Amino acid sequence: MKKPSNRVLAACALALASLVAPAKAQDTVKVGVLHSLSGTMAISETSLRDVLLFTFDEINAKGGVLGRKIEPVVVDGASNWPLFAEKSKQLLEQDKVAVTFGCWTSVSRKSCLPVFEKNNGLLFYPVQYEGEEESPNVAYTAEAVNQQATPAVDYLLAQGVKKFYLLGSDYVYPQTTNLVLLEYLLSKGVPIENIGGGFRKDASGKIISAGKYTPFGHTDYQQIVAEIKQFSSGGGAAVVSTLNGDTNVPFFKEYAASGLTAETCPVVSFSISEDEFRGLPADKLVGQLGCWTYFQTIKSPANAKFIADFQAWLAKSTVPGIVKDGRVTCSPMVLSYNGVYLWKACVEKAGSFEVDKVRAAWKSGVSFDGPGGKVTTQPNMHLTKNVFIGETKADGQFKILKSYVNVFGEPWLMGKFKYDFRSTVILGRVGGPGRARPLH
Amino acid sequence: MRNLFAAIVALLALFPAAGAEEAREVIRRAVLGKDEAAQAAVLNELMGRADDVIQPLLDAWRKDRIFLHAAPGAAPSPVLLVGDKDAKRSQKAVILATGLPLRDAAGQEVRLVADELETAPHSANLRRVMKAVLDLTDLSSPIAAKRQAAIAAIGQAQQSEKLPVLERRLKTEADPKVVKALREAVALIRLKSKEAAVKADALRELADLKSLASTDFIKTAIKEAESANDAQLLAAGVDALKAVNTHRGFVDFGGTIFRSLSLGSILLIVALGLAITFGLMGVINMAHGEMIAIGAYTTYVVQNLFGSGLALSPFGWSLSLPGLHATGWLQESYFLFALPLSFLAAACAGVLLERSVIRFLYRRPLESLLATWGVSLLLQQLLRLTFGANNVQVGSPAYLSGNWVVGDILLGWNRVFVIGFAAVVVLGVWLVLTRTPLGLLIRSVTQNRAMASCMGVRTERVNTLTFALGSGLAGLAGAFLSQIGNVGPSLGQSYIVDSFMVVVVGGVGNLVGTVVSGIGIGSFDQFVQQYSPSVAGALANVPVVGGFLQNLAQDSAVFGKILVLCAIILFLQWRPSGLFAARSRSLD
Amino acid sequence: MPSPAPEPLRPPAPLSDASAAILLFAAVTILIMPALDAGGVIDHFTLNLWGKYLCYALLALSVDLLWGGTGLLSLGQGLFFALGGYMHGMYLMRMIGDQGQYHKPIPDFLVFLGWTDLPAFWKPFEHFSFAMLMVFLLPGLVAGIFGWLAFRSRIKGVYFSILTQALTYAGALIFFRNNTLMGGNNGFTDFKQVLGFPLREPATQRGLFVLTAAVLVGVIVLLRWLRGTKFGLVQRAIRDGENRTLFSGYATPAFKLFLFVLAALIAAIGGALYVPQVGIINPSDMTPDKSLEAIVWVAVGGRGTLVGPILGAVFVNFLKSYATRAIPDLWLILLGGLFLLVVLFLPGGLVSLPEKLRPLWRRFRAPAAPAA
Repeated sequence: MKKPSNRVLAACALALASLVAPAKAQDTVKVGVLHSLSGTMAISETSLRDVLLFTFDEINAKGGVLGRKIEPVVVDGASNWPLFAEKSKQLLEQDKVAVTFGCWTSVSRKSCLPVFEKNNGLLFYPVQYEGEEESPNVAYTAEAVNQQATPAVDYLLAQGVKKFYLLGSDYVYPQTTNLVLLEYLLSKGVPIENIGGGFRKDASGKIISAGKYTPFGHTDYQQIVAEIKQFSSGGGAAVVSTLNGDTNVPFFKEYAASGLTAETCPVVSFSISEDEFRGLPADKLVGQLGCWTYFQTIKSPANAKFIADFQAWLAKSTVPGIVKDGRVTCSPMVLSYNGVYLWKACVEKAGSFEVDKVRAAWKSGVSFDGPGGKVTTQPNMHLTKNVFIGETKADGQFKILKSYVNVFGEPWLMGKFKYDFRSTVILGRVGGPGRARPLH
Repeated sequence: MRNLFAAIVALLALFPAAGAEEAREVIRRAVLGKDEAAQAAVLNELMGRADDVIQPLLDAWRKDRIFLHAAPGAAPSPVLLVGDKDAKRSQKAVILATGLPLRDAAGQEVRLVADELETAPHSANLRRVMKAVLDLTDLSSPIAAKRQAAIAAIGQAQQSEKLPVLERRLKTEADPKVVKALREAVALIRLKSKEAAVKADALRELADLKSLASTDFIKTAIKEAESANDAQLLAAGVDALKAVNTHRGFVDFGGTIFRSLSLGSILLIVALGLAITFGLMGVINMAHGEMIAIGAYTTYVVQNLFGSGLALSPFGWSLSLPGLHATGWLQESYFLFALPLSFLAAACAGVLLERSVIRFLYRRPLESLLATWGVSLLLQQLLRLTFGANNVQVGSPAYLSGNWVVGDILLGWNRVFVIGFAAVVVLGVWLVLTRTPLGLLIRSVTQNRAMASCMGVRTERVNTLTFALGSGLAGLAGAFLSQIGNVGPSLGQSYIVDSFMVVVVGGVGNLVGTVVSGIGIGSFDQFVQQYSPSVAGALANVPVVGGFLQNLAQDSAVFGKILVLCAIILFLQWRPSGLFAARSRSLD
Repeated sequence: MPSPAPEPLRPPAPLSDASAAILLFAAVTILIMPALDAGGVIDHFTLNLWGKYLCYALLALSVDLLWGGTGLLSLGQGLFFALGGYMHGMYLMRMIGDQGQYHKPIPDFLVFLGWTDLPAFWKPFEHFSFAMLMVFLLPGLVAGIFGWLAFRSRIKGVYFSILTQALTYAGALIFFRNNTLMGGNNGFTDFKQVLGFPLREPATQRGLFVLTAAVLVGVIVLLRWLRGTKFGLVQRAIRDGENRTLFSGYATPAFKLFLFVLAALIAAIGGALYVPQVGIINPSDMTPDKSLEAIVWVAVGGRGTLVGPILGAVFVNFLKSYATRAIPDLWLILLGGLFLLVVLFLPGGLVSLPEKLRPLWRRFRAPAAPAA
């Protein structure tokens, strides 16, 4: 155990220094980091702050961007949505950052969006989201619904699942995803009585959407699990879960205690990545499904290097409260990492930090070979990337069951399936059945 | 469990039973099959064969314990790894096809490291075939539960080719549960029959069995009868559905009562500590939630100390505690040690809090609210900086993770345990307060501090002890919540409002009141969740209210909570000082 | 449970002093800060931030009217603040028209819930006057009904506090429901214009700041006047001994109800002014935490005074804005510690600081005096 005094003193000195003289060196470029480091969302977002700081250090060690070192401005959104709006104003109007990496929840993004549009800023958003948005001031490195939900449902349908129980937290991402999924499942010939969870009806009694919803921080899933137990008692059922990170723990603990398993009724979750598994009883969830554009188990040199470098950086990091042991990498972290490199590539292509020029570079199509394979920017501010379906193992990692290569990110899915993602998907098997396939 | 399994595999591997070679060989061929279809075809050869090696080997395959090992220049062959890991983490390799140890060219036994090998791949479809193979094997399993599960699976798949096997089994089966499963499966398969009479018989059988699992099949049968215009069959189907739904009503009701008790017990446990600090001492302790979190984190620490140890990086420096590396029942027993320790840890935190902050605020209860809220923010961030912002993982020991099914009502062991434990804790607290000298002192100080002081009671010390008791109970609650929910820095926040409601509704300063209100609020919530959607459906056409209630089936969980709060507000109009108010003639 | 010791009646400060302070405050906020902003001396962000602080100051005044003035600690004032904000927000949402993400004539959140038509209760909110009426009517009504029920059955002290907490928590849960059709967890955001003035223009924001400051000054004047009347005396009597007041023949429930509704209205105005300046209103503003925070502002500033709550609201929020940027990992510890210290060592709040420091200052000066 090391002596704390030096570190604490250093931290105090740093705090004082930032108080007295904000650095204004010409050879740096300011970059905002806007995540919740306290409050309910800190459980997920702190890891993204960590990976961003790591990426900046990595880039700075290689000479920075356009010869300028990245100077991160870290602020705490504190899981407080009006504070997110205030902090983004501060970053854009006072700190004049060139770009901001941040936000996790849809509501935090929505609360910042007007600020970024007003000041013509640029926000890189790394977390799987509901789509139905396309702002020129946001670079969506996140998974769109067609890069996560619809491939997962396709996989389940191919596995012979006949009944789907839609469960989510009551906010915009689950609501939108379930609306899209309802349309999608019906279009695939799943009869409406095989969709569980409940339906929303409009004033005239017509069904307009589906799904079961629980509030944030909900802790009691007894009744819902009992309902799922009955729903699945006839076999051939699956749960499509868009529950938000925190509530997954009580849900899955209840699920396991009721005797439901991945074999009797698999759950495909869109919000549980490797990082969330650190707080979940993974051994009780073996075989449950996940769908992301990156898994830590991807076997590629780029991924191995990324994981090793990140662990090495963690080991010598001095950020207060940073967790060093048992750390894993996950899709939102890699999308943050990719985001920084894509921004760097765009800046270098544009030869400028100006948002308009960077955006133009983004729209012209820039690629980066990230830990999860190649990602390419699209004119609609989203990314083309690989999609993986995996099942959980007892160690909290995913075993990759299926991969779809170069899936185009399509934010507008509601009411139309004009883009059939399967047309670019390469199916078929390399190696043995169900084997994790390296992409390179 | 895992060890037991490893031992079985090892045994099987070392002493290949005569005649078992062939099944091993089939599995080897299946593992090496060129694609999924070929593999499935090979696996199907095992169908119906009774061979003791099939079960453990397929299990090993499914659980990624069959590895592909390729000697230099040779095609890969499947191997199992057995025995203990040595310093290099390597284990003895056993050839799948023969069960004999793998030897290299020099005849030495080969040791391999699991992490360096490729596991034998399998897909969900293959696993389904394996399961079908095992289901048939399970049909003659000596364990009733396994037979039951296998039979149910066959029934739900409506595999008519297996009907004779089931019927034969039905004649010999003795276990009533398995008999029921057999009758259900036979009826379900017959439901697929083309003959109307057989179908109607099957429907009557299902009605007789009140089989919940067959709801969908009955509905399908009704639809078919409708399209075939078969009135008789339709009537049988409708009757069957009615019988099943009636039974479902009973199951729902029984289940709701159980869930009510369990939620009520949780509310009671989280509120009990507050009933003492707030109810008896009058301290509005907003840091109560953090005391719960301290208890939960203590459980986490104890769990890790029993396991592989704990590494913390508080404030950026690292601290690691070695673990006991316990396994088996010793590791599982960590929870029993965690319970008293979480009580102690939170009680110590309580003493600190009382001595440093609260003792200055006894005369200013509303300000104790503010100060403890400050403490709560502080503690939350300290927990975050010590244990990391992520939730941490607390596993359930095996004795808390199963369930009983009583007449189709599911009773989870963790829930049963919560109910029992709540009862024990309440009894304990009641005994402490009424049958011990400490209890006498606590009651004397809370009832009349000045008088107690005059009688020579050291009120300061009693205050500290009382506060420690309340905090310790919160810590116990934390140990519990770690079994049913997440353990994170803001764990306590989810329960703090609920705790205050329970105490206030029960009547401040009254333990019986807290018990009644905890159970009452829990029941109210569960019954609203269970039955509000159907009530709302009935009210859908009422203007204004109907609109608000319209889509309740989607979020009855939150509606339960809202209604509980509204009910509490209204309830306190009727009884402004709670259920069991302390009677007093004093006026402020 | 021990009842709180009645606080000594604070003698009202000489009127001239207070009036001068109000005038000074009014001059700074209404004239000088916007002028500095227009002149480019302070940036728009700062002015906007201070606009938010002033809205919070209104909330703090509402808390203090009940707590410091009447002895009722309401843990639910955030509800009325947010309701005011929501009512104004509904109008602002209608003013987005079809400029939302979906370019549909109904608000975006209704589209993702699957709705195609505007629900009936949304329709009148396209009129600004109706929305403004509702800013007062809805919080007033909720406060009226709740207050009538609570005061009628003589719920007081801690029970009242916990009950108001239940009220705001229930409100938060109702608004969190997407099926309530009030935007769910996202609430309302992405506003474009108010009464035709584009909200992104600095001039509009400046106007809103001036309006907020003027309202705040108006509320201060009103509360100050109320204090001087006989009504104010009864209010203080209720604070210091409710039963005695009741037995003296005053219908204290009626007085308390009036004060509770008045406080709700003050909070609601604060909320209505907050929404266009911050650009978002959502149910997190109704959570019990937010109301607790407002109480802390009052405690830090100094309760029972008019200046204290305002000072507290501005100071704590300024500190929060600053610390979440300067020490993002440790600011909660700083803030939590501050609350603790204030409650333990400075029960009178920041306004009592000069009084506390005076003896220290004298002691410091005393040894220095002979030397001089």
